[in-house]
Amino acid sequence: MAGKKKIKNVADLYELYESVKKADTRCSDKIFVCIGGGCLASGSLKVKEAFEAALKKHGLEKNVSVVGTGCLGPCSRGPVAMVVKDNVFYQEVKPENAEEIVSKHIIGNQPVKRLAWKKDIDGSTALTLKDIEFFNRQTKVVLSRCGKIDPCSIEAYIGVEGYQALAKVLTKLSPDNVIEEMKKSGLRGRGGAGFPTWMKWSFARKSVNDTKYILCNGDEGDPGAFMDRSVLEGDPHSVIEGMAIGAYAIGAAQGYVYVRAEYPLAVQRLQKAIDDAKEIGLLDKNILGTNFSFDLEIRMGSGAFVCGEETALMASIEGKRGEPRPRPPFPAVKGLWDKPTVLNNVETFANVPMIILKGGEWFAAYGSEGSRGTKVFALAGAIKNAGLVEVPIGTTLGELIYDIGGGIPNGKEFKAAQIGGPSGGCIPKEHLNVGLDYESLDKLGAIMGSGGLIVMDENTCMVDVARYFLEFVQEESCGKCVPCRVGTKRMLEILNRICEGKGQEDDIDTLIELGNQIKSTALCGLGQTAPNPVLSTIRHFRHEYESHIVEKRCEAGVCPRLVRAPCQSACPAHVDVPGFVSLVAEKRYAEALRLHRNRNPFASICGRVCFHICETKCRRTTLDAPVHIRGIKRFMADQEITIQLPEVRENPTNAKRKIAIVGSGPAGLSCAYFLARLGYRPKVFEAEQRPGGMLVQTIPAYRLPREVVAREIRMIEKIGVDIQTGKRLGRDFTLSSLRDEGYEAVLLGVGCPIGVRLDIAGSDAQGVTDAMTFLRAYNLKGSVEVGQKVVVIGGGNAAIDTARTAVRLGAKNVTIVYRRTQADMPAFMEEISEALLEGVGIKELTNPEEIITENGKVKAVKCHAMKLGGFDRTGRRKPVKNGQNIVVDADMVIFACGQTLDSSQLFDHDELQPVSGYRIMADPLTGQTAMPWVFAAGDAATGPSSVIHAVAAGERAAVGIDEYLTGANHAFWRSEQLVDTAFDVNADPAPYPREKLPLLALERRRNNFEEIEQSWVEHEAIRQAKRCLRCDYGKMLDSERNS
Amino acid sequence: MVSLSINNIKVEVPESTMILEAARKIGIKIPTLCNVEGQKPQGACRVCLVEVLGAKNLVASCCTPVAENMKVFTNSLRVRQARRTVIDLLLSEHDGDCKVCDRNDDCELQTIAREMRIDNVRYTGEKTAKKIDSSTPALTRDSGKCIKCRRCVSVCNEVQSIGSIFQQKRGFKTIIGPAFDRNLSDVICIQCGQCSAICPVGAIIEKNQVADVWSDLDNPEKFVVVQTAPAIRAALGECFGYPPGTLVTGKMVTALRQLGFDAVFDTNFTADLTIMEEGTELLMRLKKAIVEKNPAVLPQFTSCCPGWIKFAEHYYPDMLPYLSSCKSPQQMFGSIAKTYYAKKINKRPEDITVVSIMPCTAKKFENLRPEMNSSGLRDVNYVLTTRELGRMIKEAGIDFNLLPDGKMDSPLGLSSGSADIFANTGGVMEAAIRTAYEIVTGRELPMKNLHIEPIMGLKGVKTASLKITGAVGEWAFLEGAELKVAVVHGLGNARKIIQAVKNGEIFHFIEVMACPGGCIGGGGQPRFTTDEVRQKRISAIYKEDENKKLRKSHENPEIKQIYEEFLGKPLSERSHHLLHTHYTPRV
Repeated sequence: MAGKKKIKNVADLYELYESVKKADTRCSDKIFVCIGGGCLASGSLKVKEAFEAALKKHGLEKNVSVVGTGCLGPCSRGPVAMVVKDNVFYQEVKPENAEEIVSKHIIGNQPVKRLAWKKDIDGSTALTLKDIEFFNRQTKVVLSRCGKIDPCSIEAYIGVEGYQALAKVLTKLSPDNVIEEMKKSGLRGRGGAGFPTWMKWSFARKSVNDTKYILCNGDEGDPGAFMDRSVLEGDPHSVIEGMAIGAYAIGAAQGYVYVRAEYPLAVQRLQKAIDDAKEIGLLDKNILGTNFSFDLEIRMGSGAFVCGEETALMASIEGKRGEPRPRPPFPAVKGLWDKPTVLNNVETFANVPMIILKGGEWFAAYGSEGSRGTKVFALAGAIKNAGLVEVPIGTTLGELIYDIGGGIPNGKEFKAAQIGGPSGGCIPKEHLNVGLDYESLDKLGAIMGSGGLIVMDENTCMVDVARYFLEFVQEESCGKCVPCRVGTKRMLEILNRICEGKGQEDDIDTLIELGNQIKSTALCGLGQTAPNPVLSTIRHFRHEYESHIVEKRCEAGVCPRLVRAPCQSACPAHVDVPGFVSLVAEKRYAEALRLHRNRNPFASICGRVCFHICETKCRRTTLDAPVHIRGIKRFMADQEITIQLPEVRENPTNAKRKIAIVGSGPAGLSCAYFLARLGYRPKVFEAEQRPGGMLVQTIPAYRLPREVVAREIRMIEKIGVDIQTGKRLGRDFTLSSLRDEGYEAVLLGVGCPIGVRLDIAGSDAQGVTDAMTFLRAYNLKGSVEVGQKVVVIGGGNAAIDTARTAVRLGAKNVTIVYRRTQADMPAFMEEISEALLEGVGIKELTNPEEIITENGKVKAVKCHAMKLGGFDRTGRRKPVKNGQNIVVDADMVIFACGQTLDSSQLFDHDELQPVSGYRIMADPLTGQTAMPWVFAAGDAATGPSSVIHAVAAGERAAVGIDEYLTGANHAFWRSEQLVDTAFDVNADPAPYPREKLPLLALERRRNNFEEIEQSWVEHEAIRQAKRCLRCDYGKMLDSERNS
Repeated sequence: MVSLSINNIKVEVPESTMILEAARKIGIKIPTLCNVEGQKPQGACRVCLVEVLGAKNLVASCCTPVAENMKVFTNSLRVRQARRTVIDLLLSEHDGDCKVCDRNDDCELQTIAREMRIDNVRYTGEKTAKKIDSSTPALTRDSGKCIKCRRCVSVCNEVQSIGSIFQQKRGFKTIIGPAFDRNLSDVICIQCGQCSAICPVGAIIEKNQVADVWSDLDNPEKFVVVQTAPAIRAALGECFGYPPGTLVTGKMVTALRQLGFDAVFDTNFTADLTIMEEGTELLMRLKKAIVEKNPAVLPQFTSCCPGWIKFAEHYYPDMLPYLSSCKSPQQMFGSIAKTYYAKKINKRPEDITVVSIMPCTAKKFENLRPEMNSSGLRDVNYVLTTRELGRMIKEAGIDFNLLPDGKMDSPLGLSSGSADIFANTGGVMEAAIRTAYEIVTGRELPMKNLHIEPIMGLKGVKTASLKITGAVGEWAFLEGAELKVAVVHGLGNARKIIQAVKNGEIFHFIEVMACPGGCIGGGGQPRFTTDEVRQKRISAIYKEDENKKLRKSHENPEIKQIYEEFLGKPLSERSHHLLHTHYTPRV
């Protein structure tokens, strides 16, 4: 617009305001098209043009305006647009959609549902802003104008009461009044440290000097942060107005906005805004006819992270190397060119006009005690709705990630949120309920920071994350002070070696000690916070550091030197997955099986019941779907005709040593298996009449046929393991008696066989039992009493096994009662859906309160209906009562709420001190307990877990026992086996989709325990095996070479 | 005044005193590696961290001002751990081997580590990238040893206003050095060596020429003469534990003889000669200005200081005509030794080696200037700093303390007090005025002890004016003239005075010495030079001057003799050839 009319006084400003508003009402409708950085990148300018063309085509260009606005928020769904008359929001709009929206929606009043917002949960359509959680849960103060006006038009800003706060300040308030209002608002600096804004202003105001400066920090350098950029791009005038008000308050006549040069669009729009404001008379001399003069310039930074530090930023503006200097003197006394200076960040200034217009109290009503107002966050990383959001301070992390952010994409699990950038920390799922305010975050070792929030899913290695951030600060350190320059380098070196599998035992302690020293000794904020990402990940994810250092394992499958293939890393037993899969693809089944049994004897068992963590890490997921590793394993095991024995190293000395293994579950048997391979002849004592532990006692035969278990146990017996059944610890022998008989080492693999009942009224009534008792009775004795109306309480695999067993045993009505949602059930998804198909009912969000009895017999279960509340320590939403009662009729109630160690076996006869109430305390790496000759593994040591974890623990205990007896590690199976299968690196991945395993038809499952899951035919299995991308190709790990 | 307690000891200090200084006042030593007196505190090394009650983090005592009722602890467990960590980190980064380091006897990092009883280095890892820059004649920089304390950066940028070296790159890769990691010879460096005098470790040292000197001393064909600058005698003692300001002229002479020098002379001799030439030159310029009305020749700047000369050549090529054309005393000595003296002792100049002992590193540059060969050969062969001489004496196994006093040789060994005071700021000016005044008026300078008070001391810019009455003979035109002089030291101050001249302020004669305090504070002097040390050395020099019977250059009989026998008169043609030079703009 050429030749803007000067605004000479307040009346002029209001006149322009009225005229813009009037012009606006002349338009019957508007279409907002986001032209923020994100949407621009996905092509929103073309969309905007297409809308304009479509309107023109229909002759509507005068009545309907297309407004290019600042960021609307959901950047990952860009380009986004909104029809203003009914607030219908469109996502991923393409230029070719414009015509349809104009003709159907603008003209025909029929929103185009197909193009509207899709809900995260189920993909259904949500039309208007108030239906969309992403929007209706936000509160916009800073962003109240961003996304509603054309950022390049000063008139548009004036039309939404822009510069009226400045007018109010200049004509009605003294500088002290302004500071007073800021004090009432409780606004704290949004740059990260959260220093009260009024206080900063008041210090500068009190500094006596003829020249003062006000600076705006737009040097947004945190990885993943884009709040300030969005504000500068979307509503630059709010920053200018806020700075002018600040300048008036402290007595400055000159301001600088320090923006990084990597933000060309922000610089361009801000420059335009400054030029316009000058042209119209809202900057420069005698603003609004008062004697207040204020000029503003942009200074571009070249992207040094440390220039976000205030003294470094000032040095940079002065033309010097951006480097912090010691404080005092504080900038409020001696800042830019040694003059009193106030520095606030973009978001802080953008808050100011609203505070002045609506009053400090209005602002203070938002947020939490001590942290007032709202905060803008940039959501990035593994989150569905990546983008820009604003919420009241104190909103919980869980709400931000799940309700607004839409949760984690690709069905992955939330692992941690990195907040505060390189100065911040990682918050794990245990703390999803933390309120995002300065104090709460500080307590968790994170900081509010400027609002960058990077969401990380289970595929993130926390050591690697810490390493990344430390590398960042190390590269960005100005190098002035020793702790930051050298200290962070030493920390980085330690992290690098941990990630490379060369970590040393005291590395974690060194990192903590050095980190804390750096925090308390570094010169500036950068150094003082640089160790935070490391310290916070150690605090919340220490076990990951330990597994990197001690086990040389990166569970997330990230650290390249530790991860040959992510599936293999994920497998607790470290089975060479790509190895056996590729052997299967070449029909070399016996070799495949031998390779598998090198690390895990139970190929056949695991081919049926393993919960396959390996598949969750499969890289093929990024292409289509993971390789069906368990299915391939099942097929491979089914091809075994003569039993494939593993490599056994005969050792006469070892053979003479007496080792007892108590319990023949997967942990005990696996320990025996690996000991036998070292030439030992361990003796296994099993309390029941049949070996196998949980494999045969509770896992139903329709999932795991008994002959499959028996076959693999026979294989173990064949290599020299003696299994004695009917021998119960505490009844038939004790630890002392074993000792007396000359046993040199003993493994306790006694599991957690005792079912837990909830402590509610009626839980001891007739007809009440627990899943362990119920399943064991049926599986061992062959029969168990079953009611007609069975209620199973719980949501784990035991609950599903119990329910499906009850159905098979003739119960008419089986209902699972679970206090959380079905989606939160720990049971396997496939098991749940099969159970539903077989007629099991699931009542989710139902919490049993009381078992109603009649004549001492179960009659019904009284439950509370639940709804979802905040997040608990498991990262799931906590169920809370919603006030309604539900009564479920029952003649039998089975608790499947957990299992525990049968500690009576141990306590009564021995002084085994390390036994705590529910598990045996043992070194997770060796299984050794406080009594050096006693080892423990499996559920007994860890609490209820999976078969594969028990196998892995058994193997570690075997190595531990061998080391205890011989003083050396002989685990030859741990070194990598070369697999000579062919692989063409240049070939495209095999195109076949993932196939399911065939299942027994529903009608054939009634009243029997026939195995449900079937194997593939050979050509299908081979096709599936060929889907493997061979991540292992060409990689030989140092850790494996050495161990 | 502010009162506070340090380690529970009450202390009262002026406002805005830093904690570090306050602690020193009550005898509590807080170690530091980056802080030096007179420089803006950096807070960079973090060695001086102390605990202040109520403060979240430890604070750097060098840059934290005291506050009323502050409670400071300098030796708490927390402080000791932090300090230990910082030193550990520095040692882990430092790529130096103490055993073979030039600074093995006086390294500050080594000293602190020893005082803290660090017996193992807890952290290991990558070392600072090593790059040895010996591109200049004066200095050797070893970036591997650099601990990035930035003292050199401050002295080069703020005191000398040059900025040859500064911090570059970021993080662990941060280096201190010339722009773009280039060599010192590729950037403007005046070779003053103040960086090498202030470096706490062995990262910047003078380029060592001791081996060359030994080799000539061991060569029977060579007749090795040595000249010693006046500033040496007031500082050399410090190499052997004497307090600053101890005059060791006699022991120095004996030591030099024991080292094997064939003749021991005094640069003072040519300092006297300089006064004759430079004083006369000034009078001629005054004549030109006043009688011939050509103001383009004044003020005259002194030219004894090679750092200053190079500075002027780089930054003020337009001022070069104002510089006295006199060579420095070192170079005058070289050319006289290889001509006049060679003839006297009947030696071929090529068989004579001239070695200088200088307080200065820039002299190592000066003697290599291409034009410094008026004897037909390199006038001066080698230049050693005071520190190098100290080491040479130790190396030779000479117990300095036990040495008897010796006397300089003749004819180049006799000098006046005026020559002695060439060593300090204001000295050249005073010496010149003593002679010039007497030449012009025929009377002795009418001042107490012949000292010109306003230009003495350590103030950065000093000025004085002197009214000439009773001018005689050919100098009668100066009658009533007011001679205005200025004295500056430190090149930052040189910029100030040049700016003043450019702004029209009238001066007739300006003395510039590149190093703070003059040559007694030179870049080649024993470490560590503080203002207190400078003052002591200056006092010693004035004492040497006052104790001499011969106080004025023109009264030196050997000077008279050389003019009679060899040079004729000041500014004669031979003088011009041997004692004067020209300057080259370096842009």
